[in-house]
Amino acid sequence: MFRELIGGLRITMQAMLRKPLTIQYPEEQRPVPPRARGRHILHRYDNGLEKCIGCELCSGACPVGCIYVLPAANDPAHPVSPGERFAERYEINLMRCIYCGYCAEACPTEAITLGPRLDLADYKRERLVATKADLLEAWPGFRPPGGAAGGGPR
Amino acid sequence: MSAAPSPPPELVTLTVDGRAVSVPAGTLVWDACEKAGVFVPVYCAHKKMDPVAVCRMCLIEVGTMPKLQPACATVVQAGMEVRTATDRVQRFRQGNMEFLLLNHPLDCPVCDRGGECDLQDFAQRYGPPRSRTAITGKVHFDKARPLSDRIMLDQERCILCWRCVRYCDEITGDRAIVLQERAVHTVVDTFEGRPLTGPFQGNLPEVCPVGALTHTAYRFRSRPWDLQRTPSVCPGCSYGCTVGIDSRDNAVVRFVSQDNPDVDDSWLCDRGRYGFPELNRQDRVLTAELSLEGPVRAVGALEAVGAAARALAGVLERHDPDQVACLGTPQMTNEEAFCLQWLGRDVIGTPHLDHQLEPWPDLAPDEFRLAIRELEDCDTVVVLGERPEAATPVLTLRLYKAERKRGRQVLRIAADADPTELAGRVRDRGRVGVVAHEADRDRARAVATALAAANGSVHRLTLTEGMNGRGCKDLGLLPGLGPGYRRLDRAGMHGRAILAAAAEGRLRALVVVGPNPEMEQDPAYEAAIARVPLVVALTPVRGLLSRHAQALLPGRTMAEKQGTVTSSEGRVQRIRVALQPRIGAPPPELRLLVELGRSLGGTWESAPLATPAFDVICDAVPAYRGTRGGLRAAWPGTGGAA
Repeated sequence: MFRELIGGLRITMQAMLRKPLTIQYPEEQRPVPPRARGRHILHRYDNGLEKCIGCELCSGACPVGCIYVLPAANDPAHPVSPGERFAERYEINLMRCIYCGYCAEACPTEAITLGPRLDLADYKRERLVATKADLLEAWPGFRPPGGAAGGGPR
Repeated sequence: MSAAPSPPPELVTLTVDGRAVSVPAGTLVWDACEKAGVFVPVYCAHKKMDPVAVCRMCLIEVGTMPKLQPACATVVQAGMEVRTATDRVQRFRQGNMEFLLLNHPLDCPVCDRGGECDLQDFAQRYGPPRSRTAITGKVHFDKARPLSDRIMLDQERCILCWRCVRYCDEITGDRAIVLQERAVHTVVDTFEGRPLTGPFQGNLPEVCPVGALTHTAYRFRSRPWDLQRTPSVCPGCSYGCTVGIDSRDNAVVRFVSQDNPDVDDSWLCDRGRYGFPELNRQDRVLTAELSLEGPVRAVGALEAVGAAARALAGVLERHDPDQVACLGTPQMTNEEAFCLQWLGRDVIGTPHLDHQLEPWPDLAPDEFRLAIRELEDCDTVVVLGERPEAATPVLTLRLYKAERKRGRQVLRIAADADPTELAGRVRDRGRVGVVAHEADRDRARAVATALAAANGSVHRLTLTEGMNGRGCKDLGLLPGLGPGYRRLDRAGMHGRAILAAAAEGRLRALVVVGPNPEMEQDPAYEAAIARVPLVVALTPVRGLLSRHAQALLPGRTMAEKQGTVTSSEGRVQRIRVALQPRIGAPPPELRLLVELGRSLGGTWESAPLATPAFDVICDAVPAYRGTRGGLRAAWPGTGGAA
């Protein structure tokens, strides 16, 4: 009986000396696989113009209807995107989204992709509707037209 | 007036892809294919225009003919054997699509037509699976060039089907859009580059099979799959054009035409088509407001109805019902007009009710006897002055069609022309139609009488103001005339007399349904409304009435309610709910009017809803029976329904 006790404690002692497997979430996060489908990102070109042209093909392809796009005509003097049309409003209901990636598949300009962010819990439903300010890629020197970038999921 | 009985056309039997189909002689193969249930793709052919066969998309095999034939321009023959699905036809279509797409830009994601584009659909269905040409090297033009403040032209997208050119030639006759240059350099443009000015530009994007011509008002507003289409009636005038109201996010984004051959013949005027922002107005009356005693306070609509009824009952206790008047508007539905008429005449007991300013003595349904479609069958159409076409612009296109396609005489005379001279100018002594605006109805009567002396049959069409001016008249929202033009013993005051009485302080209370565009243009209206001690107003929009009413009840716009409206020619058509009311929105206007009448002790037998109210109308006005499905009311002695 004494031998069994020692044997068990030996395993305990070994485990105590091993490096712990626990990840201190949310301070620490595991890297996600490169093709994981998390929260969407709206991309920009290198010159800061948005890739999204407001064509609504993402919302047309969306099987759950969680994307809302309201297009508008670009002001040629201050274009938001190259060409005639841009998305004045772009909203994704992250609660309804099933992260299938069809929107990225449908996008003719590769403006929308599904990014690595998976931590999408929040206390308020309204904050789980991601707006364009939330989804747009950061760009140095860029200030969103609406001003406040907050209010979206953190 | 019915068309002269023509012998039934000779039927020709042919086979389309092995299916036998019989069509009248002279039919085009394209129409025969449609009748046989075989779809033939086409860009240039249009149901309302003559064939040109320029797009070459509809080429099909016919019998033993060595070359493919255009279905849109080939006339059927007995025993013809049409094949539309052979390898040769399919190969040709594929080649034709390749030509059409050669210079077409890859614009679909930013093109307003994307999703409802024939070029997209046919490229998918009949086009080659891959392009053999590079994206680079396409011919480029300026993108989105405004042709006017309403229409944009994108020449890159044009596939040269000539539909817009033919529309300007055959339908409007203004030849504003033409083909410039020749052969491979051909482009569609306005004549001499002048901006478009016509009143029918809004039809151009609809005849365009691609996105070359687009609406400025609809530019980048939506995609077809976002839109909800509600069939309804254009509120712009009394012509009664059928429209589809396309709405997104509970706002109207465009009107589309819906082919109604009896009325609009698939064309809309710009005033009607681009009048939709009126339905999206933000300055709305959304709650009832009472200022009967003390300052204005917002209350529930039904509570306000009760308070208004108590105030009206107080007035009726102290004063004669003659000191109360009811004013409607030609924008009301038939159900509302009938209900207001009941409220005024039967419940309050006043003879003073009207929906317009001027008096209409000796009104009879015979003034509206001529149907819009019958204009084409008249040998001569006499149009009095410019007001008919100004009031109902689509009439112009029908007259042009009668003139150009049917060879009729259209005689436009000054409204004050001498009727006796006119008889000599009428070309054929046959059926004559007299078209006049309601303001010229006395002259129209004189003209019709003068022409009737020399001609066989003269029928009149009077064009009323407002969407439902005719319905208000049919249903007795007039002094001295009850529902169905029944003469009443007590003559009341007409609109202008009511306003005058109000301004002199002779009215104790006024029940008004607004907005009434005709009255609001008159300065006497505001002066009169401001003088009446108790104004019960029902209106959807803020304005004069909301400033002066003691009891203000929230109304609905034409896109938010259902009911029927009657066009000038007497066609009773349904309007439907295109914009859903908010949760907790006040009840429809009809219910508020019924509740007001009931609170005053009146009996309204049916449920206060549009459909049962229409049954009540049918009982009171038998001519309205049998109008379901958008038919004309059959008035006794005017030739029956059409």
